[in-house]
Amino acid sequence: MPEKGMIKVTDGFERIVHWMLAGSCILLFITGLGMMYRELNFIGNLMGGLVALKYVHNFTGLLFIVSLVLAARMWWHEAGKFSMPEDLEWMMCAGGYLWHVEKVPEIGKYNPGQKMFFLTVIGCGALMGVTGLVMWFPVGLSLGFVRWMYPLHALGFVVFFAFFFVHLYLGTIGNPGTVMAMIDGWATKAWAKKQHPKWLKEMEESGKLEVYGEETKEAASH
Amino acid sequence: MSENIKLFDTSRCTGCRGCQLACKQWNNLPAKQTVNWGSYQNPPTLQSNTYLIMRFQEKADANSVKWFFRHEACMHCTDAACVKACPTGALYYSEFKTVGKNIEKCIGCKDCVAACPFEVPKYDSGANKVLKCDMCESRIANKLEPACVKACPTGALKWGEKETMLKIANERVKELGGDAHVYGPQYVGGTHLAYILQEKDAVYAGLKIDPKVPLSVIAWKDWLKPLSLIAGGGVVVGSLLHYILHGPKRPDADVGQDNPAEGGK
Repeated sequence: MPEKGMIKVTDGFERIVHWMLAGSCILLFITGLGMMYRELNFIGNLMGGLVALKYVHNFTGLLFIVSLVLAARMWWHEAGKFSMPEDLEWMMCAGGYLWHVEKVPEIGKYNPGQKMFFLTVIGCGALMGVTGLVMWFPVGLSLGFVRWMYPLHALGFVVFFAFFFVHLYLGTIGNPGTVMAMIDGWATKAWAKKQHPKWLKEMEESGKLEVYGEETKEAASH
Repeated sequence: MSENIKLFDTSRCTGCRGCQLACKQWNNLPAKQTVNWGSYQNPPTLQSNTYLIMRFQEKADANSVKWFFRHEACMHCTDAACVKACPTGALYYSEFKTVGKNIEKCIGCKDCVAACPFEVPKYDSGANKVLKCDMCESRIANKLEPACVKACPTGALKWGEKETMLKIANERVKELGGDAHVYGPQYVGGTHLAYILQEKDAVYAGLKIDPKVPLSVIAWKDWLKPLSLIAGGGVVVGSLLHYILHGPKRPDADVGQDNPAEGGK
């Protein structure tokens, strides 16, 4: 539960789209792994057989594509574009994540790491959608083209699977206080000051910041 | 069980199609209505209900016409791309080293259709299964020849121990001379259907020149599949090392007073 003085960092729509994307992605991992490794074929038994597992995978893929489009439209403005020079400076010191940095450049709503993550999810997500649809309906397409959809789908999985754990770590124990942004949408001011100081300043100056237990002049709207 | 192969000698084939019919009969594959496309080759390609076709080809030169007949079916690769690609084990190496199929396990994903360098497996949308020749596994398991070999009246098809068959093939090639050669043992680890061809490979319509397991299948199954686990595992280990060596990025304590409950976290 949020406490007095905490600030709103995500709206309800963002959290719904995030969990649609996350949920479909995890289900795709589980069902995809059930087909990729024969040792994991037993996952199909939980769903009534491997034919059913294939359909769960394919139709979850459609949900994933819808979620991806919603996420791309929603976050493109804030996370799809780099803002120089602070993003470059942030990258030069890896955001202070890898070695000791006295003063990490002040960053807005999303840091360049998050932006790169977002762009990778959109790019690889589109690749997964396109290759997956061709694999589902390969009829009438040239064999040489269809053949390459499989390794490209696997390549997308390599990236997604690795990034999933990066995201899980950085969104939870790697950055304490972050996970609630996607659960109830509230974070502490101290967290915002550490993670996204430029955004906090802009929101405070414009009077748009929604603070728990305080009246706002202008409710944060999406 | 010794390793057996099926040998097809183009020079002995009369194009009677006994093998094609025997295949249909043994495997219980009734024919469907087809369209005359100007060739005895019918249907024009392998189909989900036709595991074996005779290819008919005419070659005319100045004063004669030559017929070429080719028995086309699953080549039963030793290094089979379809087995590599199959996610469920529906396609497998049998104890006879041929490529068997367990139809119950097939989920109709068509991965094998794209993987096969010979374009053999065919998808049946009605059954949602992919079908192909299994070298009459039910027969060879009972020490019988495949149905097509049994039906062949001229000895163009033979079934037997691999080394013996290859010896016969090489002797026959010497006898035939000219461009005659053996096709099969030199590809994909050795096929379990070998041809004695009288002409160069390129002469035969639909014959794959220098067939290989496609690079796409190797990249997919041999490189990217293990890489996914290595990369995922690497990130998990890396994250834990980051946590205990570098530590998480916590909000600074000195600005925590605006929220005492969280400040000390």
